[in-house]
Amino acid sequence: MSDAHAYPHEPTGVETRKLGFWVFLSTEILFFGTLITTFLIFKGRDFPGIKLTDVYDIPFTSVSSFVLLMSSLTMVLAHNALETNDQEKTRVWLLATAMLGAVFLAGQIYEFTEFYHKGFELSTNIFSSTFYVLTGFHGLHVFIGVVLLLALWGIGQRQKGLSLNEGMNLEFIALYWHFVDIVWIVLFTVVYLI
Amino acid sequence: MSETHKEHPSPTKYVQIAIVLAILTAIEVALYYTEDIVGALAPPLLIILAVGKFVIVVGWFMHLRYENSLVNKFFAGGMILALILFAIVMIERAVGNFF
Amino acid sequence: MTKIIEPKKQRNIFSRPSSEEGVWSWITTVDHKRIGIMYGYAAFFFLLVGGLEALLLRIQLSQPDNNFLSAAEYNAMFTMHGTTMIFLAIMPISAAFFNYLLPLQIGARDVAFPRLNALSFWIFIAGGLFLYSTFLFGTAGAPEGGYLAEEVSRLASAPNGGWFGYQPNAGLKYSPGTAMDYWAIGLQILGIASLVSAFNFITTILNMRTKGMRLMRMPVFTWMTFAVSFLLAFSLPIIAIALFFVTFDRQFGTTFFLTEGGGDPVLWQHLFWLFGHPEVYILILPAFGIVSEVLPTFSRKPLFGYPAIVFAGFGIAFIGFGVWAHHMFASAISPVAQAGFGLSTMIIAVPTGVKIFNWLGTIWGGRLTLNTPMLFALGFIGMFVIGGLSGVTHSVVPADTQQTDTYYIVAHFHYVLFGGALFGIFSGLYFWFPKVWGRMYNETMGKIHFWLMIIGFNLTFGPMHWLGLQGQVRRTWVYAEETNLGFWNLIVTIGAFILAIATLVFMANWIYSRRKGEVAPFDPWDARTIEWSIPSPTPVWNFSNAPEVKSLDDFWHQKYGEDEDGRAVRREGTDELLLQLEEEGLNPKEEIHLPSPSYFPVVMAFGLPFLGYAIIYKSIPLALIGVIMLLIGGFGWGTEPLEEEFESSEEEPESGESKNYE
Ligand code: HEM
Ligand SMILES: [Cu+2]
Repeated sequence: MSDAHAYPHEPTGVETRKLGFWVFLSTEILFFGTLITTFLIFKGRDFPGIKLTDVYDIPFTSVSSFVLLMSSLTMVLAHNALETNDQEKTRVWLLATAMLGAVFLAGQIYEFTEFYHKGFELSTNIFSSTFYVLTGFHGLHVFIGVVLLLALWGIGQRQKGLSLNEGMNLEFIALYWHFVDIVWIVLFTVVYLI
Repeated sequence: MSETHKEHPSPTKYVQIAIVLAILTAIEVALYYTEDIVGALAPPLLIILAVGKFVIVVGWFMHLRYENSLVNKFFAGGMILALILFAIVMIERAVGNFF
Repeated sequence: MTKIIEPKKQRNIFSRPSSEEGVWSWITTVDHKRIGIMYGYAAFFFLLVGGLEALLLRIQLSQPDNNFLSAAEYNAMFTMHGTTMIFLAIMPISAAFFNYLLPLQIGARDVAFPRLNALSFWIFIAGGLFLYSTFLFGTAGAPEGGYLAEEVSRLASAPNGGWFGYQPNAGLKYSPGTAMDYWAIGLQILGIASLVSAFNFITTILNMRTKGMRLMRMPVFTWMTFAVSFLLAFSLPIIAIALFFVTFDRQFGTTFFLTEGGGDPVLWQHLFWLFGHPEVYILILPAFGIVSEVLPTFSRKPLFGYPAIVFAGFGIAFIGFGVWAHHMFASAISPVAQAGFGLSTMIIAVPTGVKIFNWLGTIWGGRLTLNTPMLFALGFIGMFVIGGLSGVTHSVVPADTQQTDTYYIVAHFHYVLFGGALFGIFSGLYFWFPKVWGRMYNETMGKIHFWLMIIGFNLTFGPMHWLGLQGQVRRTWVYAEETNLGFWNLIVTIGAFILAIATLVFMANWIYSRRKGEVAPFDPWDARTIEWSIPSPTPVWNFSNAPEVKSLDDFWHQKYGEDEDGRAVRREGTDELLLQLEEEGLNPKEEIHLPSPSYFPVVMAFGLPFLGYAIIYKSIPLALIGVIMLLIGGFGWGTEPLEEEFESSEEEPESGESKNYE
């Protein structure tokens, strides 16, 4: 942070960037909250045409949910490895997280194409619209997360190690990643199971 | 960097937590398939399970348990605000016309 | 924190911008003061544009059955007027104050994230230009059988569904063409700008306070900035998603808000006002903050009931989230909700009233200096009370069903927004003029400005009360001769032109005083807060040394003590103190590290409009340009250090004894 000499910082005791990041995450709740609200409102209504229950495949989605859940584990292990300055492991776990994220995304793309083939399209009915916008918005978050993870992994690779500076970045990406995961925990239940 | 920053758990602990998460997910899927037997209890149970997983990931993986209370306040504030506001909207749009 | 390998010094792909003067130094600046000034000028420009639109509206309404504007043009003008004033004028002018003053008031060298701050500013510019490019590229077609069937002029090729974008009117069927898409996506971009700045200000206030600046020692303006940032952070996401849905409805054939596909237009109203009501407090709280600084200074008394003002501010912000459906009394909401929201709306008037009494208590028995900032602050109190009272009359549901959608509502919100927010802003512009430019404004012209403004304002918006109660409907381009509304409408239009003249006086004063005004003394107002303890104009480094704050209104207490009767007496040696402060302020002893300028915020910000055009015109190349700009910006940003040639510190600075967060 800028000039440590003259300026005592952080009277709250929380690192500035981390504080900002948590504020950001708090507002993300409102983003997803609005989407989920809309979804639930429309879920309770009558609408014509094909429904999600006609097309979905619970075992498949369960597996991809599980994959995303486990990526949270690899993420936290990467974080842990960096805290003990084990660069090798940090990179391995980072890459693993990115790969698991990519698998989840691939699953989602596959699922969407399947649904489309079965006639469950974006504008089929109000329910399909909310479904795609909600899960798509989450998918976009996962995608951004994967890009960030890969970027971080690349930096680690090129510099033979992540620095304190990027170390903090890893912490933020980890927070972001776990957040994306908890959103999916909610979505999986709300959209698929209930 | 600050006193409130307690020691983070060890990798083994993380793996144990992940196993718990996996089991909870398995129960969720099982509940889905046994909905006919469990009946009306299924949705509330599913919600409880989701909330449980949510709390575990936020608390341990995101280290919110180990964080300064300020950070906790932000997150909880956002959650509570969202829950109240959206509950009102949902009630209004769903059942409001009957009152 | 465990020690982690040192970063190697790495050269960047792009060389760092280095100029300190000229256009590029402004474009790449990350200095909060320069960003604040740019916010101010840009917002003022949009204020003029929005004002021009208002004049066109008023010319059209000056006589019954007028033909100056077509219906289509009228719709476009009132939509753009509202949207401009709220999102491109008042909000960014407030942001100008936040940017310039916040770090100074808490004794910091800059905001927490200087480059993010530049990003906010440039996204605002990009969003504003995007929205206004609708006049060049946008189209507003003709709904079948609608009034728009005539030839549509360029003036009418702007968004025309109102600043509230009610559905389905703002949907594709009733607002064909691309204009409303410009509106939805433009607001989306502007929302990102405000959201980013909200994160920045919250963190700045919490974490960049100087030694001894406890929360309850912060100036009220800082407190109000804090409250506004929370409102922004928690209300903007809601409208962002709602606008997202609108864009989907218009572009990709979904029906979120359209009944024909099972959608729900009332849901749009909920989501819009869930944002919209916090938004009105986003507009007014900065002005509350400003007058809370101006009144004590020119009454030479401490602010009456500082904690009450602070808590009332947060009370307003909090309750402000719980009153949104008072905008929907005439829509499909249940009687229970009508009663509940009517009640909560009445309740929110309580903390607002608390503030009014605090301000009155502050000037009560004070030795008042009636100069321009003070006049505007007093005008603010008067006008805001009128607006607040008519607001309470709207909270009575049966009465409101008569008032809603009439000029009575227009009168209400102009009394709070113009008479409230804008008067407060003018007060602040005069008050901090010497701080920013190191020169004094011209007092006579300032007073002429004030008197013209308060007369013009009341002529313009006062008659709207009775016009509305007589039944003149808002958002309607003509009224018939037989309604007998002609006389007062003419008066209103005359008032509007007086306001235009007042604005010209203000501009003349500004331009003249910027160059030729008297050189401002060090502390021209004998002020209270620490931003006046440094030289004017503010040096780039703000404070030479981190100041240490010992009390609320710290600067005042450095200058004044109390005698036995509790009256303020100037301490001995205050003059020397001031000289010494100025000397110190101009000549910092230690080396100062300032964040270096950067190109990347601009690059990233201007990627967004390309994405917007890409959605409207379904163009992959445009989308690629946008994405590439975002990527280049993000990558460059991520790899360049905040400060050039300053090594990242090897060890974490000790957080020291400054644990004074409450
Ligand atoms: C004492 C506090 C206030 C109360 C009780 C209040 C109440 C209301 C009510 C009930 C309405 C809806 C009227 C209708 O459409 O039928 C309304 C409209 C409005 N108020 Fe207020 N208000 C207050 C303060 C403010 C402030 C401080 C601002 C802005 C700075 C503001 C800006 C607006 C705007 C812009 C509208 C019109 C929105 C539209 O329909 O386009 N109000 N107010
Ligand atoms: Cu309101």
